[in-house]
Amino acid sequence: MSYYNNSGGYNNPAYHDSDTLQIDRSPPRKSQHGNPHGNPYPREDGAVLRERSDLHQLPGGGQTISDDAQGRVPWGGLQEESWRGEDCLPVGLLPPQSESPQWQHDFSHSGYQVDQKAHYDTTPLVRLPSTTSGHVSMRFRGSRKMSLFPVGEAALCNLGLSEDDVKNEMDNEEENLIKELVAMSTRDRIKAIRDLPMTFADKKHIRGQVLVFKSFKKSQKWNCFADCSKTVTLSFRRCGANMTLAGQTLELWRGTMKEVGGKFGTGVLSYFKFLKWLLMFNIFSFLVNFGFITIPQLVSDPVISAEVNFKGLELLTGAGYFNQTVLYYGGYSNESQGTENKPEYNMQLAYFFTIAAYMLLCGAALIYSMARSFRKRFVLDDKASGGAWQLLCTWDFNVTNERAVRQRKNNLSIQLKESLSDNIRLALLPLSDRLKHYAVFLGTWLLSTAVAVGCGAAIYFLCQYEKEAVNKSSGSLVDEASTLLLPFVVSLVNLVVPLFYSLFRKIEVYSNPRMQVYVIILRNVILKMSILGILCYYWVTDVAEQFPCWEAVVGQGLYRLVVMDFLFLMLGSFFGEFLSNVIGTNCIQSLGVPEFDIARNVLDLIYAQTLAWIGIYFSPLLPVIQIIKFFVLFYLKKVSLTRNCQPPRRAGRAAQMQTIFIAILFFPSFVGAVSLLAYTVWTIPPSESCGPFRGLNTTFSAVHIWIHDLEDVNSARWTVWVFQHVIQSEIFYFLITLIIIVFIYIFWQITQGRKQLIALLRQQIVNEGKDKAFLLEKLQDLQKSKHSKPKPKKETGNRPENESSPGLLQALLARQQMEEEEGRSSTFGVSMPSDRSTSTTSSTMVHAMLLRQQADSQAGSYRGVPFPAEYPALSPTSALIQAMQARQMAESEDEHHRTPVPSQNPVNALPSTMIQVMQARQRAQLELDQDEPYRAPDSYDDPILPTSNAMMQVMQARQRAEEEEESYRTPVSPWLAQQQLQDKYNDRY
Amino acid sequence: MGTTASQLGKDLLSEYQELTFLTKQEILLAHKRFTELLPKEDRTVQSTTRLSMEKILSMPELKSNPFRKRICHVFSTSDTKDGSLTFEDFLDLLSAFSDSATLEIKSHYAFRIFDFDDDGTLDGGDLEKLVNCLTGETDDTRLTPEEMRQLIRNILEESDIDKDGTVNLSEFQHVISRSPDFVSSFKIVL
Repeated sequence: MSYYNNSGGYNNPAYHDSDTLQIDRSPPRKSQHGNPHGNPYPREDGAVLRERSDLHQLPGGGQTISDDAQGRVPWGGLQEESWRGEDCLPVGLLPPQSESPQWQHDFSHSGYQVDQKAHYDTTPLVRLPSTTSGHVSMRFRGSRKMSLFPVGEAALCNLGLSEDDVKNEMDNEEENLIKELVAMSTRDRIKAIRDLPMTFADKKHIRGQVLVFKSFKKSQKWNCFADCSKTVTLSFRRCGANMTLAGQTLELWRGTMKEVGGKFGTGVLSYFKFLKWLLMFNIFSFLVNFGFITIPQLVSDPVISAEVNFKGLELLTGAGYFNQTVLYYGGYSNESQGTENKPEYNMQLAYFFTIAAYMLLCGAALIYSMARSFRKRFVLDDKASGGAWQLLCTWDFNVTNERAVRQRKNNLSIQLKESLSDNIRLALLPLSDRLKHYAVFLGTWLLSTAVAVGCGAAIYFLCQYEKEAVNKSSGSLVDEASTLLLPFVVSLVNLVVPLFYSLFRKIEVYSNPRMQVYVIILRNVILKMSILGILCYYWVTDVAEQFPCWEAVVGQGLYRLVVMDFLFLMLGSFFGEFLSNVIGTNCIQSLGVPEFDIARNVLDLIYAQTLAWIGIYFSPLLPVIQIIKFFVLFYLKKVSLTRNCQPPRRAGRAAQMQTIFIAILFFPSFVGAVSLLAYTVWTIPPSESCGPFRGLNTTFSAVHIWIHDLEDVNSARWTVWVFQHVIQSEIFYFLITLIIIVFIYIFWQITQGRKQLIALLRQQIVNEGKDKAFLLEKLQDLQKSKHSKPKPKKETGNRPENESSPGLLQALLARQQMEEEEGRSSTFGVSMPSDRSTSTTSSTMVHAMLLRQQADSQAGSYRGVPFPAEYPALSPTSALIQAMQARQMAESEDEHHRTPVPSQNPVNALPSTMIQVMQARQRAQLELDQDEPYRAPDSYDDPILPTSNAMMQVMQARQRAEEEEESYRTPVSPWLAQQQLQDKYNDRY
Repeated sequence: MGTTASQLGKDLLSEYQELTFLTKQEILLAHKRFTELLPKEDRTVQSTTRLSMEKILSMPELKSNPFRKRICHVFSTSDTKDGSLTFEDFLDLLSAFSDSATLEIKSHYAFRIFDFDDDGTLDGGDLEKLVNCLTGETDDTRLTPEEMRQLIRNILEESDIDKDGTVNLSEFQHVISRSPDFVSSFKIVL
């Protein structure tokens, strides 16, 4: 039997989409009474199902998979555990048939109604205390309802439910949902409704219902306060909405971004997003600096000493004319502005606090976005899952260009083929080859480090040379131009060396292309940071000692670097993309059209931004240059991209790269810039002759002076106190550090715990899968044996027979195994199952199922079939009776253990029960399928009873499982990782 | 755009905002685009106005999408299952594909789009169709039957946690949650 059609149940939506299991809790009553003898299963259904399942068969491939899946399943789970003895009580035999008269009595009277009504109608909604978990369960409901519509229909037909039943059930669902929603606050509710995976009309309906409910409630207790708070919240919400609207309107380059995304996909788009993000940083910094530092300066002292004429070269060098302007630190005065009767504007404090605040905000924004993207993209990424899904589910829906789509398809198919062959190739690699690889790694690393160190040294000597040149300079144009040498070399190194590094790609062999990208990024970062490190060292040691107005000199140096970097970026995109495009298309065809190298380009941006951050203290208006630079760069890159490049061949991983880039921007870049600034502010004496801090020992002493002044002002006592006892006290930092370390430790422990929990839950799922597979196999065996029986001739009226003893035996066997399995799996919890009720319940259920199935199969296989006289006339009902008995037992046990056992590990009982339920259901389907061919046309009316009975049982079993689920929800709540558990449950059921 | 705004009405607009992940502007834009596709004589959008699948698919954003028909079918509320969309269905579509939609929603709809036979589970047939959709139907890009079998086996090995031979919604969501690129790529911008 091939895998995809080995049972109709596989193709039954309701079986898989366990949410749908919910929908038919009540209906059996109806089909029992309303339709006792009519066939509730239209014949077509089975046929359709079969047909469909045939369609699913792979072109000749089904068998392999099925072998694979079954081969590993059946006994492994049972055998790997050694302790199975003690706690598993000997398997009790079912009460023999003779003991069941009382039950039979029951059966004849109340039949299957047992306590269904009670169960059904009174199921209270167990609401969890916290809103979040409430939301979770609600979301779950929502998706459950959702699943009613598209996929549930076939299942409903199969179960023979009338439309009324479905409708009732849905109404009930909806009612619960609405009740939950009404209990929420307005904001939560809006969010919750929005998160429901339903169609718009349904959401609207739900919302309407909730509003009606709400207004009804409101009218009962309506008072002024509620009204007021409502208006306030409403206006707040409006305000928030307007703010976001304004943000939307300001959205820059929306069309361009869309075009780029449509042609080149998300990966390349992320470069442009990054660029835009950095641009926002710079615009903000410009606004802040201009508003709080430059404008006051210009207002108080608008005359710029224009002794030097503007020559044009200043645009490149930043010296000369610009030297005394507000572009640099030197252009600011140290006086407090303002007349005597107006409050003063202290330039020193303004300068210090503006830059400090900007850096602080930058840091906060970086940490925030870094943490967010780490949470989204890194935490759940596990390395074991490579391959196929990654490729399949990252199809870029952004891409709208016809050609790009075709190209993407090509690339994807190549990648898929590669991933298939990779799996085979990776296994074998001789030792000599591996050694060779390691040698190559070592060589390339040594070489790249040597190059970085060499560049650093060269730049250091160049700095020394420049220092002397500036000392000797006579102010001529040539002398001024010679200052451009250093930035020129630095930018050249930045352009050429990365290209050199990328040549290593040809000789290095990595098992993982991602690894390769990381290594290249790492090398480039090392290079850039060593260059910047050398420059900073030169500035804070040599320059700070030698020049009278050294801050302005550093500012000029940074200005030159920024401008030169800009020019080289333009050149870079010319050489890097345009030239290689020309070469690739005209000269050497094999090179092909170049791809846009996201990593290199982003690193360039990061480098540029680092320069801007370092420069903000020395040259407060440097962000202006940076803004112009990024603005031009955006259009330049866009044109270069669309003219010269092709979409990237390798899809995926864009998100992770983005995270890495933000991390790099934070760690060496931002942290480096901040530490340099901090060093400058706290230890280096500012220059004597210029700038706002002239005459002070360090920049920070401006704050000391301010505090000292404040001591005389009564109203500002607290500021002084805070400064002296918090900012300046070691104890405070010591305590803060201690507390943070403790918190880190606690959170770390929590994550460890959660990791364990995840592992456990995964194992659990796997085990459930094994259980299911095992039971399925058992079932198949049974069916095979049934099929192999000689099929007697047709003769209706005679009924099947008591052949239960072998069947029973088998069932018992199965039950025993189940118990063992059950017992084993329950050790996952903290406690061993000292009370056996958990496992008993489920195993009893299994038993019941098996029995029932057996009964049904008997009924099925002999249905409409003649019976030799040698079978004692005990009829299928006996088997059924047994099944019912077992079920009852299960029920009573259920009842019994539900109430008094709070400490039981809830994780265990629940899924297994559910599994059985699903199984039973699936089995019922299966029977349906199988019954069809045997059913002779004239025997239509009699086989219904057992089948519908089976259905009944399934329903009840499901209902019970449902109850169990409800009742377990509460004990689960105190768990540490309760939320997670909930999620797991919901995901699974 | 001013005219469309007045056409939509304030209450309706705020309702749309509340029930979808779209902003006011996006809704207005969607409305504009939707009306443009309607026949010239009758350009008033009512809740019952339906655009046929062909019309919807003529939009450049969906035109070359390999899943365009599936998308229409999944979001259509039409009784005849012809994939036609009302304006609200259309908003639903855009909302699920918008930037701010949650992973939950996105994965839910992705699952339904990939579930070609609408049976609530991704089985071998669905996966095969999915792969064919993504690699294109031409002979040189198509995988050979052998490769396809191997691939599907890999996929199931990777994601079929309970080993029942199919990928159900929760398993699919599990896979998706480990694929960080999904959220950023499952996106359609008008």
